Amino acid sequence: MRGVWFLIGLVWASLGGAQASEQIRVSGSTTVLPIVAEAAKQYRIAHPEVRLTVSGGGSGVGASSVAQGMSEIGMLSRDLTEREKQRLHGKAALLPVARDAVAIAVSKAVYEGGVTQLSLAQIAAIYRGEIKNWRELGGPDARILVIDKEASRGTRHVFAKVVLGSEKARAPGASIITGSNNEEQAAIANSDQAIGMLSTGWLNDQVRALAIGEGSAAVLPTAETIASGAYPISRDLNILVPSDGQPHIDAFVEFLQSDAGRQIVTQVGYLPLEAP
Amino acid sequence: MLRAWLYASTLTALLAVLAVFGFLLHASWPLLAEQGVAFVAEPEWFPYEDLFGLLPVLIGSGWVVLLALLIALPCAVAAAVLNAELLPPRMRAGLRFVMALMASVPSVVYGLIGLWLLLPLLESQFDLLTGRSLLAAGGLLALMILPTLMLLSEEAIAKVSAEQRDAALALGFDWTRMLSRVLLPQAWPGIRLALLLSLGRAMGETVAVMLVVGSLDRLPQPLYNLLQPAQTLTSRIGREMAEASLGTVHWAALMSSGLALALAAVLISLLAQRGRAHEI
Repeated sequence: MRGVWFLIGLVWASLGGAQASEQIRVSGSTTVLPIVAEAAKQYRIAHPEVRLTVSGGGSGVGASSVAQGMSEIGMLSRDLTEREKQRLHGKAALLPVARDAVAIAVSKAVYEGGVTQLSLAQIAAIYRGEIKNWRELGGPDARILVIDKEASRGTRHVFAKVVLGSEKARAPGASIITGSNNEEQAAIANSDQAIGMLSTGWLNDQVRALAIGEGSAAVLPTAETIASGAYPISRDLNILVPSDGQPHIDAFVEFLQSDAGRQIVTQVGYLPLEAP
Repeated sequence: MLRAWLYASTLTALLAVLAVFGFLLHASWPLLAEQGVAFVAEPEWFPYEDLFGLLPVLIGSGWVVLLALLIALPCAVAAAVLNAELLPPRMRAGLRFVMALMASVPSVVYGLIGLWLLLPLLESQFDLLTGRSLLAAGGLLALMILPTLMLLSEEAIAKVSAEQRDAALALGFDWTRMLSRVLLPQAWPGIRLALLLSLGRAMGETVAVMLVVGSLDRLPQPLYNLLQPAQTLTSRIGREMAEASLGTVHWAALMSSGLALALAAVLISLLAQRGRAHEI
């Protein structure tokens, strides 16, 4: 019986501890996470009194945990859905902190076999299952391994919206489903006939980005084309900030938007936004 | 005092089991209230359109577990017979040690082995687009349940009494006949128990399966095509849990997948109990 009381005490103590004054809990998209995690690391040095915890979970988790009061700040690599907007109305607002692109990535063998660019229509046809062999696209005679992502991932929302017309579109041509950027990168690298969607930070020699567009107008995802909007599949990386204006939270948000914050964005591989 | 402790502990365990079921049922309720139980037999899972068909994962889980048992059982029983009857004592201890070692390897390690060895092998052998398939998951699970299955079966065979063996020999049975008429039938209750325990393990395994099954929410076509990517109950829960927000129907649907898994586990335990009752 004493063990039970001890446990209850422990839980109570940890709950009590969690309500300490200057606490900021951040959760959500794993694409945005590197920015906020690095910012939190630097921010703690100057403000040791603020207790900052950063965790992942995905964009959906970011929105729902702010709505439930389980986090003060959310991270989203996409816009709010209608349902989320209703839940968060008047409570919190989205604030962009960086820009990122979703690259259409293929296996090295496909790239070197001649497929270096595709139009949005061709990519859509692959994901709808209408094109099944790289030969039809001027590449090697190999079937296409179409890699889709878990439906609720921010990366997939952006991809599906631009390529398939709706962020919730199905991809009947998909061969397998992966989750994190890491898992998808490995799947593309291990195959020699794969296509997938990746945040630009995850490209390498085995996993090459395609230029997107028709003929000579095709665009590769580079800093310039993402910033100018010429590359079609790009997105804002956002944080979800509470509207009630608590000073210690606002101060951290200001830090994220400051020059130091923009440097962090560049450092972790994304594009900073123009100074406000 | 001791007795009070024992009662209290047992009661706590019992309450914990009930609480798990209560929680799963409560958490699945939004879906059950909205769609009844018909979703269990629906073939489509697409949370964005409120489609939560469990049929593909039920079939996926069923195939994977069946495959694992079909592969592992003959191997495990053969190894058990070899170890219990034929090997000299020193090698016996060695083999047992290796098996115990295999049983203690964490499942994510098996998953990675599958990812780097099994998938490329399947791809080259069957000329597949991707090795991620029901067969890969079943094969990997077979490897994971093999040690437990073998160790428990071996114990069951070793326990067959000396009198039984002597009687068989006195009747003029040769070794093969003794094995098929005396040893295996006598050891069968123990082997069956091992089988049911492994079945539970295979059904609940998540990480390793998630890595090699392909996670595609689609029925295999045709239904017995084991070379296609698919999804199991556990791999779906593992993939989508973190992204589903609390209180949504999607969350409830994942919880009901968990409920289905728990019910299957109860069914297996009941079968195991019956097996034991027969033994006594």
